[in-house]
Amino acid sequence: MANQETQLLDDIIATSRRKMLTLGVSSLAGLFAGANSISAKAAAAYTDADILNFALNLEYLEANFYYMATFGTTIDKPNAASMAAGAPAITLSGTVGTAGVVSGGSQVPFTTIQVASYAIETAVEEGKHVQLLLTALGSAAVAQPAINLGTSFQTLATAAKIPGGSGFSPYASDEAFLVGAYVFEDVGVTAYHGAASLLTSASNLTVAAGIMAVEAYHAGLIRTTINYIDPTGANIAGYTNLISALRAELSQAGLLGAAPGPFDTNPDDYGLATFPVSLGGDASTTATRITDADATNLVAFARNTTQVLNIVTGGGAVNGSAAVSPAVGVFFPAGMNAGPNGFK
Amino acid sequence: MANLSALINRGVSRRRFLAGVGASAGAAAALNLTGCGGSSSTTPTPTPTPTPTAPTDEDVLNFALNLEYLEASFYLYAATGAGLEAADTGPGSASTYKTVGTVSVGDAAQVAGLTPGEQQILNEIAFEEQAHVRFLRSALGSAAVPMPDIDLSFFGPLAVAAGITTAATGSGSFNPFSSFDYFLVGAFIFEDVGVTAYSGAAPLISPAGVTAGYLTAAAGILAVEAYHAGYVRTSLTGRAIAAGSAAAYPYLGAANAVEALRATLTVGASAAPSTSGSVETELTLPTSLTTASSIVAASAADAVGFARTVDQVLHIVYGSVKMGATGGGFFPNGINSVFATTTA
Repeated sequence: MANQETQLLDDIIATSRRKMLTLGVSSLAGLFAGANSISAKAAAAYTDADILNFALNLEYLEANFYYMATFGTTIDKPNAASMAAGAPAITLSGTVGTAGVVSGGSQVPFTTIQVASYAIETAVEEGKHVQLLLTALGSAAVAQPAINLGTSFQTLATAAKIPGGSGFSPYASDEAFLVGAYVFEDVGVTAYHGAASLLTSASNLTVAAGIMAVEAYHAGLIRTTINYIDPTGANIAGYTNLISALRAELSQAGLLGAAPGPFDTNPDDYGLATFPVSLGGDASTTATRITDADATNLVAFARNTTQVLNIVTGGGAVNGSAAVSPAVGVFFPAGMNAGPNGFK
Repeated sequence: MANLSALINRGVSRRRFLAGVGASAGAAAALNLTGCGGSSSTTPTPTPTPTPTAPTDEDVLNFALNLEYLEASFYLYAATGAGLEAADTGPGSASTYKTVGTVSVGDAAQVAGLTPGEQQILNEIAFEEQAHVRFLRSALGSAAVPMPDIDLSFFGPLAVAAGITTAATGSGSFNPFSSFDYFLVGAFIFEDVGVTAYSGAAPLISPAGVTAGYLTAAAGILAVEAYHAGYVRTSLTGRAIAAGSAAAYPYLGAANAVEALRATLTVGASAAPSTSGSVETELTLPTSLTTASSIVAASAADAVGFARTVDQVLHIVYGSVKMGATGGGFFPNGINSVFATTTA
């Protein structure tokens, strides 16, 4: 895919000016109550590279989590397991910002082929996303920031009120790993969705849409597997509701008092709960949420960068009604890396 | 692997078969597939409009609406035994297409033998596709096209063309409504296609359409389609792992045969992929704790989801490789769209 990467790079270089987004009520956005702006940051002088670097920070996090859980190593230190799986060994070539270390985490003692094989596939794919973005961004790529894969999960699990949350480890078992993965995947979808309309280059958009699709495949995979393991919601499927409620709370705080943007609602996250549906006019049935999408139109949620930051830093992006930059906390103990006009 | 290789190697003859070149013992299926024989081809169709060089945003959304009519009809029948409500199928007041199509139901019925959990999932997917129809119709307003004629009996001939079975109808034919596993294979026909269709259409949306929220809407629906595809592919893979072998779970192989057929159809009459090569990822059967699954349909190099052009999607849902095809397959009289005719 060298051609694709080269094209992507060319577009980033060529797209140094920021297309002005017209804010205002539009026909489609008007379908949503209170939907009257895309992003409070829409007028800022950021580029496609800033948006892709924001994505790269998230991919560093996801890829390292999956590499650690699956292979017991980080993305830049290949071992026998990662090489046998064909997972890319990442050269940490990004230089913008401050490079940090990845701490915590360990290989999961998988016992089922289902979960183990999904973990391997996902690790390889997230590694390729890091590689793609690093290659495309070239010298504009941000360095890998400090990432906490250990105590961060206990902090989040406690905040989500998961039973025994202070001792929660996503590396303890197949089931625990699925819960850990659940924390990330839907967030990735909303982040790429929120960024899609901000990209100025058509080929960047195509790539971002393609990566978003993969994140949604992953999210569907995780939710489906959790549903098979815990069809009644008594155990880990119930945890998904707790995690989604926390993400929705952090996301709402990230709005800083503004109304939700298009394709966002309050709440903007749903776990695997059963909910009533009307099919063909028959209102007397129920369904299980494999999809994380708005309750009316069933379009996936879109979040702005502050909302996403507030989730992955466990509330570090907001102080009262003010944004905090850099947002620090939980998975990013020193914050994300970004260029001068980027998002952190 | 052997089966897929065999199918790929048979690609040329398969294309000829599908295109109805020469008389063959499979003529009946070929005619059904191409829609060039029988009474359907003599039925007046909405006057095909030459594809304009710059389709409007309404054209793009209406193309998506045609696909959603098909998906919603399939899933609603599978979940409830009935299709879309009349209120969800009529033309907008300004649409040039005035006739509401009918659904040829074939074997369509509520899927037999579902567990309560499986029923819940079918309800969810049906509810979401129904919501997409309503959402697109609402967004398009008076420009919304009505539902075209839909043929849900096409699964039989399609399965014959894919080499899954030899009977197109009746005993021994492929019926996605006969069990949950057969349903998964039927759903598999659509879901990855929906993802790639939205990815391919997204860059066609105009700058004004981006401002109006159309792009974000398309991206959000794309994500939901990918959740669904993730569900279907995870279920097929997980059930195959549980069964222990490909022989014990033939549905995995059937899904891959569908993929091979889609790949053949995607290239169209030009007999070569018009964009970036294969847009399919074969499902695999992980057999140990150290082998990867193949849930995500994405490029092997970068793990970026695929895109299909409008024309490539049309070839699949028409079940035809022909250039200039105006209908066939699931849409016996074509779709209600400026894109109704295959162009390559």
